[in-house]
Amino acid sequence: MVTIVPYSHVLILAASLFVLGAGCAIARRNLIMILIGVEIMLNAAGLACIGAAMRWQQLDGQAFVIFIMAVAASEVGVGLSLIVYSQRRTGTLDADRYDLMKG
Amino acid sequence: MTAILLILLLFPLTGGVLNAVVGRLLPRRASEVIACLGVLGALGMAVIALILGGRDTYHLTFFPWIKVGDLSAAMDVYYDPLAAVMILMVTFVSSLIHLYSVAFMRDDRDYVRYFCYLNLFVFAMLVITLADNLLFVYLGWEGMGFCSYALIGFWYQDEVNANAGRKAFICTRIGDVSFSIALAFCFVLLHSFSISQINAQASSLSPYLATLLSLLLLGAAVGKSAQLPLTVWLPDAMAGPTPVSALIHAATMVTAGTFLLMRLFPVVQMSPTAMLVMAGVGAVTTLYAGAAALAQWDIKRMLAYSTISQVGYLFLAVGAGDIVGGTFHLVSHAFFKALLFLAAGCVIQALAEEHNIFRMGNLRRLMPQVYWLFLAGAVSLSAFPLLGGYFSKDRILLATFMHPELAYKVLWFIAVVAAFLTPLYTFRVFFVAFSKRADGRRAADIHPIPKFMAAVLWPLAILALGDGLLNLPGGIGKNFLGNFLAMVPGARPDLGASSALEWSMGIFSAFLVIASLILAYFLYSYRPAREPAMVGLHKMLCSAFYLDNLYRLIFVKPYQAMAGFLWRDVDNRYDRGLVKGAKALFRPYRAMAVFLWLKIDEICLNEGAMKAAGGLKVLSSGLGRWTSGRLSTYLTMLFLGLAIFFGVLALGYPW
Repeated sequence: MVTIVPYSHVLILAASLFVLGAGCAIARRNLIMILIGVEIMLNAAGLACIGAAMRWQQLDGQAFVIFIMAVAASEVGVGLSLIVYSQRRTGTLDADRYDLMKG
Repeated sequence: MTAILLILLLFPLTGGVLNAVVGRLLPRRASEVIACLGVLGALGMAVIALILGGRDTYHLTFFPWIKVGDLSAAMDVYYDPLAAVMILMVTFVSSLIHLYSVAFMRDDRDYVRYFCYLNLFVFAMLVITLADNLLFVYLGWEGMGFCSYALIGFWYQDEVNANAGRKAFICTRIGDVSFSIALAFCFVLLHSFSISQINAQASSLSPYLATLLSLLLLGAAVGKSAQLPLTVWLPDAMAGPTPVSALIHAATMVTAGTFLLMRLFPVVQMSPTAMLVMAGVGAVTTLYAGAAALAQWDIKRMLAYSTISQVGYLFLAVGAGDIVGGTFHLVSHAFFKALLFLAAGCVIQALAEEHNIFRMGNLRRLMPQVYWLFLAGAVSLSAFPLLGGYFSKDRILLATFMHPELAYKVLWFIAVVAAFLTPLYTFRVFFVAFSKRADGRRAADIHPIPKFMAAVLWPLAILALGDGLLNLPGGIGKNFLGNFLAMVPGARPDLGASSALEWSMGIFSAFLVIASLILAYFLYSYRPAREPAMVGLHKMLCSAFYLDNLYRLIFVKPYQAMAGFLWRDVDNRYDRGLVKGAKALFRPYRAMAVFLWLKIDEICLNEGAMKAAGGLKVLSSGLGRWTSGRLSTYLTMLFLGLAIFFGVLALGYPW
């Protein structure tokens, strides 16, 4: 017999992953780590979608996740190349050193 | 059938898109071949559709497009004999014009842009012809308007050409607004955009609403077909390359308006008032443009006015309830007018962009082939007995004459007068440009043009001369086209005229044409014609009864005056350049302005603004501290905001 994981469990997992990712994005100063934090948040959202797809037996959620994965992949591609460029240009990856937007 | 029609539409679209996307990378020949194949393929498909489809009516859906509530619009087609005739004509004429264009544009660097727009135009025209859904029709309608704009202003580096394009776009837009209102009406009244459904439900319309709807449709058609009062754009549209004038502004696009009315004929038929207005617009335009054509010195402008005049006959035909006659004349007009334009294009290119007929002359000897081609077009346009234009124009005149209402007799008379003018203006140009004159051109003036340019016109010439066979009033091929179109709603294959009436009308118009030809010969060929001075009646006719000036006076001048007033007098209040007389008029205004400036503006507003600005400055420097430029602060703020947002959502959730 197949036991289905309750949706609330999935949601709890997704929420904790999301908070972990958010914490990583806020707390870390390294650009790469911030990017990783954002990726974790994206995956948490995807997890919630998949759980919802299972819960209501509708495929839309899964289709959604495929798009999220595609977006995440391209985002990493662009983000990492930007980071490499920034490293070459400024010699640092410390997010606090990028303060050109200071008002 | 679905596949055939879909491929038919896709051919020119693909051609246009290919040329737009990769045209620049391809060698010139490849781009030309793509463009020509796009249209020739469509022609082939049109022939196959005709063979397979016969006289049946098809209602096919390609795929759904928009579906919101009641509103549904699909990419679907309504293929009936009327559409069959139309697509065959459009694809055939545009195929020849594409081939001609290859030679005509041989020295132009922007051939890719040209062929791309030309193909897209054919696509849009075919959409109009085939589409069942009025929104789909509208897509083609606007696409055609855009391509027309882009091609009229094709040589946009010259301000005049670009302006002509804008003028055409704006004028036709007035009609388009009417069309979009008609669309909304259709939907509100009949809950459908489908032409076939609208036609089926037309009889449920009240007479008042039917009249309103028909008049709105007429407004749309008038804009696109350059009828009064929106004629002004077509003569200026001659700024485009000549094949464009032939394709868009003679053979196809200007007839789209009439086609729309024929397509929705059951609606139009519900309202005798609208029919009368339609016929009236057609008849008056016919005479108006015919008279204007009499005085043109530019060979292309003369042909443009002649087009307006001939399209007027089409409106008259629809107004008199004779779809078959309208279609017949539409087809024969497409052939002879395309032929005339393309022949004129040969002349213009051979004489290094010379448009003035009074600087031509002697062309009969110098360009014999073009001479014969132009003659074929000219006799057909003049409705010379037993040629194409004769039968088609006669049928329209007969239908108008036989209409029971008295007003139509008046319209018939107007149309007959216009029919008398047609040979006169056509052969005026013909004699002046081609016959022998002492001050005419010499062999040295002629630039060589590719032989191909004239050769490709022979099929058109044969059709222009012989297309009367399509719908002979009697004999073996009697009413062939009429019987073919019999299934089209509202079409009458046979007008039911007594043979005595038919014969007398035929002989009467033959007599009319020949009399006019003789008059033209004595006026313009017997004595060598000189370029007349631009005075009096001649000037009035040449400027088409000052319609452009009238519009300038009514619309442009007040607008300019208003803009000038706002700019000079309101904006720049203390301009001393005011005329003395106007000064008194403006004194109260000035006093008020001074008061506003010194008391209110300077004291209240300025002071206030300064204070406010100071406050804002303090505030902004306070806020500025928030923008630390630190990424982590921003992220923290973002998450904080998110947390608050979710918190509010969670509070509102019925736990």
